[in-house]
Amino acid sequence: MRIVVDLPAPLGHATVLGLDPRRDKAALHRQIGYLPGELVFPGRDKAEDLLRFFAAARGGVAWSQVTELAERLDLDLSRSVRTMSKGNKQKVGLVQAFMHRPAVLVLDEPTSGLDPLMQQEFLAMVRDASGAGQTVFMSSHVLAEVQQAADRVAIVRDGQLAAVERVESLGKRAVRAVEIHFDDPVDPAEFSVLPGVSDVVVSGPVLKCTVDGRIDPLVKAAARHEVVDMLSAEPDLEETFLSFYYHGEGAGDASRAGA
Amino acid sequence: MLPALVRKTWRDDRLALIGWAGGVAAFTTIYTSFYSQFQGAAELKQDALPQGMLDFLGIADMLSPAGYLQATIFSLVGPLLVLMCAITLTARTIARPEEDGGMELMLANPVSRAAFAWQRVAAAGSALTGIAAIPGLLLMIIVPWIGMDIPLSNVAAASAGLVALVWSFAGVAFLVGATTGKRAAVLAITGGLALAAYMANAIGGMLDGWHWVRWLSPFHYFIGTDPLHTGWHPLELLALVLLGAACAVEVAALLYLFYAWPANHRTGENTRSVFQAAA
Repeated sequence: MRIVVDLPAPLGHATVLGLDPRRDKAALHRQIGYLPGELVFPGRDKAEDLLRFFAAARGGVAWSQVTELAERLDLDLSRSVRTMSKGNKQKVGLVQAFMHRPAVLVLDEPTSGLDPLMQQEFLAMVRDASGAGQTVFMSSHVLAEVQQAADRVAIVRDGQLAAVERVESLGKRAVRAVEIHFDDPVDPAEFSVLPGVSDVVVSGPVLKCTVDGRIDPLVKAAARHEVVDMLSAEPDLEETFLSFYYHGEGAGDASRAGA
Repeated sequence: MLPALVRKTWRDDRLALIGWAGGVAAFTTIYTSFYSQFQGAAELKQDALPQGMLDFLGIADMLSPAGYLQATIFSLVGPLLVLMCAITLTARTIARPEEDGGMELMLANPVSRAAFAWQRVAAAGSALTGIAAIPGLLLMIIVPWIGMDIPLSNVAAASAGLVALVWSFAGVAFLVGATTGKRAAVLAITGGLALAAYMANAIGGMLDGWHWVRWLSPFHYFIGTDPLHTGWHPLELLALVLLGAACAVEVAALLYLFYAWPANHRTGENTRSVFQAAA
């Protein structure tokens, strides 16, 4: 992400809109809106003056676009940015990233510090942007948010791309938790040998397990008994992510899901 | 219209600029306005201090108008004030936003790194020039007003030297800031160099056989030519300006070396230098 906006990063290179972020920095930044993960605003300006600086530096931005965004995020522009809470600073950061309607939005942890209501508003802004043909490239630790906002998800583990998939197809290969209530107690050994089934726990007539991939073998095996109830949670991106994450060796803590 | 970043830089530094301008103006006015009253005290001061000490402080004599101006405004406290101002303000151009992280959002605008550097230097440099010019401008009014017997052209020459001195050290401070990205390094290295330069000029004038060290010191080019008595010395002033300009050119060269190459020529090492933000 930092390479895309040409900030110091350990290694790597990128091409954005056919341009080199370093050589074509000035041209490229006209078309990029960037929200840093660690927001620090230069100076002690009021939000309004700071945003006017960004507007002028980007070759002029219609002020109505700024006030519209500020209204949407319920942001008071007359206050000094230094004295703002983390959530309000984040709003200022979002406004400056969106204000010039860039072709590409690069957002590093965009919802950090936002309250749930504003998180919803932010997701709506992302939907509007993608509807208007803008590309949104964001990172997030909040997987529910990724699920709602993203078309494609890249999972990065230890600095390596572990997967790039569409959100829906990620669901297909998801690990799901299944709970089956039988009439009579069952033998766990009968189920733990099934392909894709693991973490089998049986307490009396209730079987709990996780299924990786197709659920058919489990259903066939269960059908040999009297089934009272069967619960299968919708595959969750979180569990899918964790499966990607822990199936590698030497899992470090530098994990991050991007969308 | 001026680039947005220049206006932003002035606006962000406005409190410091007003403070320094006020301080330098007050210092100049107070010292010179009491010229006539200080005369008696000056005589005492001059008699009380040994000649070696007077030489070290850059005081030739405190009784003549030129000697008085030299002793009060141009030899020690004046340069000290404007250099402190120059070094701290120049440390804000690149080193401070790199340290506090404000650089990221300023670079997230459509300006190249070179344009960013030039705009920051232009903003700080013009402000510094204004502040360093304050003593000279005030003296243009005060000297005739209180009837000091000294050609205004000589005062102007010394004042121009003060501005040139500020440029030379601001150039050094900018170079240190751009290469290290650390405010402490800017203050320590540039401040240390300024002190060493002052000592070289002072000691070089006092010790036989050490005369040549003066030629290494920007202070010599500023005040060693005795502009208050002898007027303009364009070559010496040019030397000071060139020192500042050379530092700026070096920053431009570093930017070119580290950032103008296509991405595939880059290694991880190269990204860790000019304008390196906290990684």
